[in-house]
Amino acid sequence: MIEKKKLDRVLNKVIKPARYIGMEQNSIIKDLDKVKVKFAFCFPDVYDVGMSHLGLHILYNLINQYDDFACERVFTPWIDMEELMRKEGIPLYTLENKEEVRDFDILGFTLQYEMSYTNILNVLDLSGIPLLSRDRSNDDPLVIAGGPCAYNPEPLADFIDVFVLGEGEEVTLELLNKYKEHKERGWDKESFLKDILDIEGIYVPKFYDVHYKEDGTIREMVPLIDEAPKVVKKRRVEDLDSMFAPETMIVPFVETVHDRVVLELFRGCTRGCRFCQAGMLYRPIREKSPSRLMDLARELVDNTGYEDISLSSLSTCDYSQLQLLVSSLMKEHGEDNVGVSLPSLRLDSFSIDILKEIEKVRKSGLTFAPEAGSQRLRNVINKGVDEEDLVKAVSYAFDEGWSKIKLYFMIGLPTETDEDVLGIRDLSYLVKDIFFNAPKEKRRGNFSVTASGSCFVPKAFTPFQWVSQDSIEEFRRKAYLVKDSIKDKKITFNYHDPEVSYVEAVIARGDRRLSRVIKRAWEKGCKYDGWREHFNFQLWQEAFDEEDIDGGFYAQRERNEDELFPWDFIDIGVSKKYLYREYQKSLAGQLTHDCRLACTGCGIRDCSMRGVFN
Amino acid sequence: MILRVKFNKKNYLKYIGHLDLLRLFQRTFRRAGIPVKYSQGFNPHPKFSIANPLSLGIESEGEYMDIELEDKVDIDDFTQKMNQVLPKDIRILRAIYPKENKSISSELSWALYGVTLEIEEDLSIEDIQERLDNWLARGGIIISRLRKQGKRKVMKEEDIAPLIGGIDVRDKTGSEVTLEVLMRVGEDGNLRPFDFIDALKASDIIKLDKDSVSLIRKALYKEDGDQLYEPI
Ligand code: SF4
Repeated sequence: MIEKKKLDRVLNKVIKPARYIGMEQNSIIKDLDKVKVKFAFCFPDVYDVGMSHLGLHILYNLINQYDDFACERVFTPWIDMEELMRKEGIPLYTLENKEEVRDFDILGFTLQYEMSYTNILNVLDLSGIPLLSRDRSNDDPLVIAGGPCAYNPEPLADFIDVFVLGEGEEVTLELLNKYKEHKERGWDKESFLKDILDIEGIYVPKFYDVHYKEDGTIREMVPLIDEAPKVVKKRRVEDLDSMFAPETMIVPFVETVHDRVVLELFRGCTRGCRFCQAGMLYRPIREKSPSRLMDLARELVDNTGYEDISLSSLSTCDYSQLQLLVSSLMKEHGEDNVGVSLPSLRLDSFSIDILKEIEKVRKSGLTFAPEAGSQRLRNVINKGVDEEDLVKAVSYAFDEGWSKIKLYFMIGLPTETDEDVLGIRDLSYLVKDIFFNAPKEKRRGNFSVTASGSCFVPKAFTPFQWVSQDSIEEFRRKAYLVKDSIKDKKITFNYHDPEVSYVEAVIARGDRRLSRVIKRAWEKGCKYDGWREHFNFQLWQEAFDEEDIDGGFYAQRERNEDELFPWDFIDIGVSKKYLYREYQKSLAGQLTHDCRLACTGCGIRDCSMRGVFN
Repeated sequence: MILRVKFNKKNYLKYIGHLDLLRLFQRTFRRAGIPVKYSQGFNPHPKFSIANPLSLGIESEGEYMDIELEDKVDIDDFTQKMNQVLPKDIRILRAIYPKENKSISSELSWALYGVTLEIEEDLSIEDIQERLDNWLARGGIIISRLRKQGKRKVMKEEDIAPLIGGIDVRDKTGSEVTLEVLMRVGEDGNLRPFDFIDALKASDIIKLDKDSVSLIRKALYKEDGDQLYEPI
């Protein structure tokens, strides 16, 4: 345990010291000498960001249900804290018992975005744990990782002992139980790793070798031992109602990004946007029932005292009984000054109706995501909204008293022309016209529209996994094309730095050779790459050069239909054939309908949606 | 209906700032089922206020807040329910329904702080006391701090000697010295403990290691003539 006196010396000097003290309401502090497996769960970003992640609250409460296990939290210290910890020789510790991370049995990372990978290395280093899997002995913690980015685990292959693919509720417990067995028998990492290979959803990179072709693409990935499966299937929980769901959440002292009850309504999304990785990874849709949700909400509000319930899912408005749920929640909790909120909105009047009900009060900003500026391009990406939807939704919103609109777009989508890009300007002006075309006495508030353009990053397991990303120069040219075309003070256009998106794109479709680059970048001082003020492209470029790896090979190369991808050994359910078919349809500008209407044959073999929704 | 409450804030919880503490109480009221009055309007807020907010990084043995209630609640019941849900290092110590209609902030005028620090020279308790007494007697302890002036903040020099009610050296073990310092709080002058530490350090009266300083507010007082009382 880290001594309080030692910590006091640094905590007095850092901003937001409460990030580092734990002791929040509903945090669970166990006697570590009495548990059999100690699990340190790390979200490799700063506390305020990590604590907003629903998955953390789920796993934390799930694992801590069991007397044999303890789950404690670790985040990356902010820059000021890290500096002082290094200076005072304080190793990274968990928030609950303030125990050194290296004394835990397992250190588990959640991989939410590629740009957190250098932070992972920083966590290992600050903990005094060797970075490379092969350098770690039986005395070091087992290092595991899961979360959405684990679906292309290869860039982290050198650092992580075990990847967990898919929804973690069941497989985490299986893994911990196996660990317990092995520890009781006398711990040997090698035999443990072999023994877990038959658990569905487990991938151990060291048991595979990758052979490359002359041109740098993959020839094959071969298991090195018989026990290692050729194909690793992701885990999926079938019935969400009977599955564990937390009835409590840790309530942070400091304000976090999502400081509220988060109620997960369902998993999966079947709208089939072709750029969206989550939409492919988490199919099919599995809903919780309204009655289960009402029970959970009641427990969560009682146990946290939060004043807000956020209904969270990939596309929350798709919940089949949303209206019923919202009005029941409002009825039960409204009197106690507990509000309901929706994180994302669709461009339809139904969504606005619901919003009207819950946001009786604040009429500030509203966000819509047309994603692409022109109808042609929206068809390419299968974003099933048209200009009319936008016009309707926006007029409706203005009528209801909103006056600030945010529009989200992507730049650099496949087949994009300058005309498509300028559609961003056109839609922004259209929104403005709608506002000012209303008679003066009906206009309310101070109008503004903010359009932001992020740089498109092609992701594994999407129909666009074959395409090339735009070059940095091209991104910038297109961004300026839009920016320079807007000459209205009420319209603002923001765009994201293309350099970050480039590195993200390299890693997102990278293979295990990239481990070297990530390590080199970290050694050069890269960390918090997802934070604009800390991202240093120069250092990343040097890292690529010194490791003699061409980032363009990963980011800016159009792939052949039959190329073997680094992530192809993972079976997510949706077939590669389907993804390719979707890619071809996109090039032809053809839409694919939501498969709740009728199955579109994505390849999921035992899909629970077939015959239920459609 | 005003309920006046005394509570403490110890150990690591000294690192929770004032706004975080307000949020914590707001949630605790909800969890404990305390019928706190809410403000009207678009963004209803529970009505309660904490007197003389503590600076970040300082522990306390006695803080005060006034809570506006919808209905009268039993005090023991209140204390028990609140302590059940509060983190263990914040405890409700006492509560009363005050007779007078004066806000708690306006009643307080002195705060007693315990200061523990390491000194870098070998001095006896008596030596230290003498040096500090002389320092206070000499007067004219000037600090500069930002003061609001209209919309701007202006750096101003200020003599804090009148804001220090007295310093007692209580203890010394090894190089660690414990002082008790009475400082003014409230509208007629307010001394922030960290300004006091800075002034002490700058004076060079005793050589101290600033990183070793730890502070605890031991009491808040109201003043009646030359006598100080705890408000409840
Ligand atoms: S199998 Fe059919 S119904 Fe199921 S998710 Fe795929 S497309 Fe939709």
